[in-house]
Amino acid sequence: MTPHVRMASLAFAVLLTAAACAKAEEPQAAPSAASTAGQQVVQTPSGAAGPTCTLQQFGGTPFDLKTAVVGFSQSEKEANPFRIAETKSIKDEAAKLGITNLKVTNAQSQFSKQITDVQQLIAQGARLLVIAPLNSDGWEPVLQQAAAKKIPIITVDRKINAKPCSDYLTFIGSDFYEQGKRAADRMIDAVGGKGKVAILLGAPGNNVTTERTNGFKDRVKEKAPGIQISFEQTGEFAREKGQQVTEQLIQSNPDINGIYAENDEMALGAVTALKGAGKEPGDIKIVSVDGTRSAVQGIVDGWLHAVIESNPRFGPLAFETAAKFLDGGQIPDKVIISDRDYDQANAKDSLGEAY
Amino acid sequence: MNREQAGRLLQQHGAVMVLALLVLAGSLAFDSFATPENAASVVVSSSFLAIIAIGMTFVIIGGGIDLSVGSLFVLGGVLAAYGSRHGPLAALALPLAVCGTVGLLQGLVIARTGMAPFIVTLAGLLGVRGLMLAISDEGATTYLVEDRAFAALGQGELLGLSYPVYVTAGLALAAMVLLQRTGFGQNVYAVGGNEQAAALMGVPVARTKVLVYVLSALLAGLAGALNAARLSSGVTILGIGLELDAIAAVVIGGTLLTGGAGGVTGTVAGVLLLGVIQSLINQVGSLTSAFQQVVSGAFLALVVVAQRLLSKAQRLDTGGPP
Repeated sequence: MTPHVRMASLAFAVLLTAAACAKAEEPQAAPSAASTAGQQVVQTPSGAAGPTCTLQQFGGTPFDLKTAVVGFSQSEKEANPFRIAETKSIKDEAAKLGITNLKVTNAQSQFSKQITDVQQLIAQGARLLVIAPLNSDGWEPVLQQAAAKKIPIITVDRKINAKPCSDYLTFIGSDFYEQGKRAADRMIDAVGGKGKVAILLGAPGNNVTTERTNGFKDRVKEKAPGIQISFEQTGEFAREKGQQVTEQLIQSNPDINGIYAENDEMALGAVTALKGAGKEPGDIKIVSVDGTRSAVQGIVDGWLHAVIESNPRFGPLAFETAAKFLDGGQIPDKVIISDRDYDQANAKDSLGEAY
Repeated sequence: MNREQAGRLLQQHGAVMVLALLVLAGSLAFDSFATPENAASVVVSSSFLAIIAIGMTFVIIGGGIDLSVGSLFVLGGVLAAYGSRHGPLAALALPLAVCGTVGLLQGLVIARTGMAPFIVTLAGLLGVRGLMLAISDEGATTYLVEDRAFAALGQGELLGLSYPVYVTAGLALAAMVLLQRTGFGQNVYAVGGNEQAAALMGVPVARTKVLVYVLSALLAGLAGALNAARLSSGVTILGIGLELDAIAAVVIGGTLLTGGAGGVTGTVAGVLLLGVIQSLINQVGSLTSAFQQVVSGAFLALVVVAQRLLSKAQRLDTGGPP
């Protein structure tokens, strides 16, 4: 949006004619070479494992994606790179496919708002919903409304606790338990199989935090009983909170050897805290999950030991899944993407692919 | 109609007028705005904030502020989901009992020690959220509502609107009667208008204050319980910043933040106004939600400035000190 348009729409908003903003449009970034780099790859070939779902089983009717109203509900404020890359990927792919009626809402991390957002997308006639859920529970009012109208819901990055193929169509995302396990392997390697490790937990109430925690702990218990997990506290996936918790951590546990951050933002907060406490890069080994550009840069700078990727570019896979479903294809109950990892060996060369 | 009357009218019914204008503009601009379905979504989602804001109206008219309602809302929801294992009665009684007690404690501290309501209820905001985290494993455990009778309270529908809307309407009517037609209501206005004068006139100042905070806490807990019934679970990430939305709605509705004047009708209009703004921004679909906050913030600023000007104009008209 040019400053001129922004000023104009702002002025309109203040003058109580928010309606006039309908014409204001987001800038469409020219498709660059980087936008296709690092695309998501499905791990389990579709249909191979678990039950599948077809349009007939679901009970819907086919429609044309290009002309239909498609709703995307983003969960968190676009203040972290994962969310920015996720929304951009959905918008870019819709533009690429010629989906003209994409409606995007953002719940600004308020769950009540997300429920209302999705209900209003339904009221606006959305035929397909792509939801990045803030919380895994509490979706009943939305699911009931969508089921009554046979609107397929694809949830991305986090799950909804409900039945696939009836309450929602499918889930596209990473295997978070596996991410936790791989992070544990890196941590075991980094601290030499023994020592004290802290966990910066993600926001409570969703499957990502639970599974990244369980995967990490199970793997440590199994492979390196010499590692003691001596501190765990939530940093709510936020940088400031990660910093704050790490500051308390180095006060209370000065002999800590490693920090496992359940996302990059908290890891970067931890780096700030360690710098503030006069630590040198590598004094405390940090392993995190996500693969944002700043975190991969952190590996290059020596502050982070390794980063397990969690790919947020859901656009292509989400619309591909929807198109296949509308064509009568079989959709698995979950589409798990395969994630790479970054370490000292590949960080520098991979910077361009990080988001 | 002289200037003073016009000013008072604008103060009391400005929110309703702006709401009507916005709804009209929205209906003309968007085909999918004035549909029954969209209207229902605005009204249903506004009803929980409205219940809280009704309580906040009493507190603010009484010259106080209650920052603990957002935390009480989420605690009420978690307790309701937890209590629903023992039937619908427990699901309602548990949150009301706990939240009512918190309100009673806050009210007693404010009324007896004369401490600033801002600080006392800020302590409540932090402490109550801590309590909620303590009973839900730091928010990691979400209790599900197993009891269908209780869930029906939040999900059941009558004429296309879910039950919480009717509960809210009933509470709003009761609050209007309580505020305008009872001695308690008059006491709230008197305490908020001028506490010393009220005490000299024999108004039970302390008791009025305590009751106001109990009422606010009970309503916040009830809103949380109804919301848990609607969502079928005690979601732990709710209610952050909700107290500020409630205060904004009350002020936009024409209640003076300094106390002594205001009403429930304006508050309900204020809540709906915030809901309609959100809905309009969703209708546009290409604007970021940050715009909602910009627009809501601009509204609030306008209303506060207008209130200031109006009260100045009234004082000039009546020859009072500027």
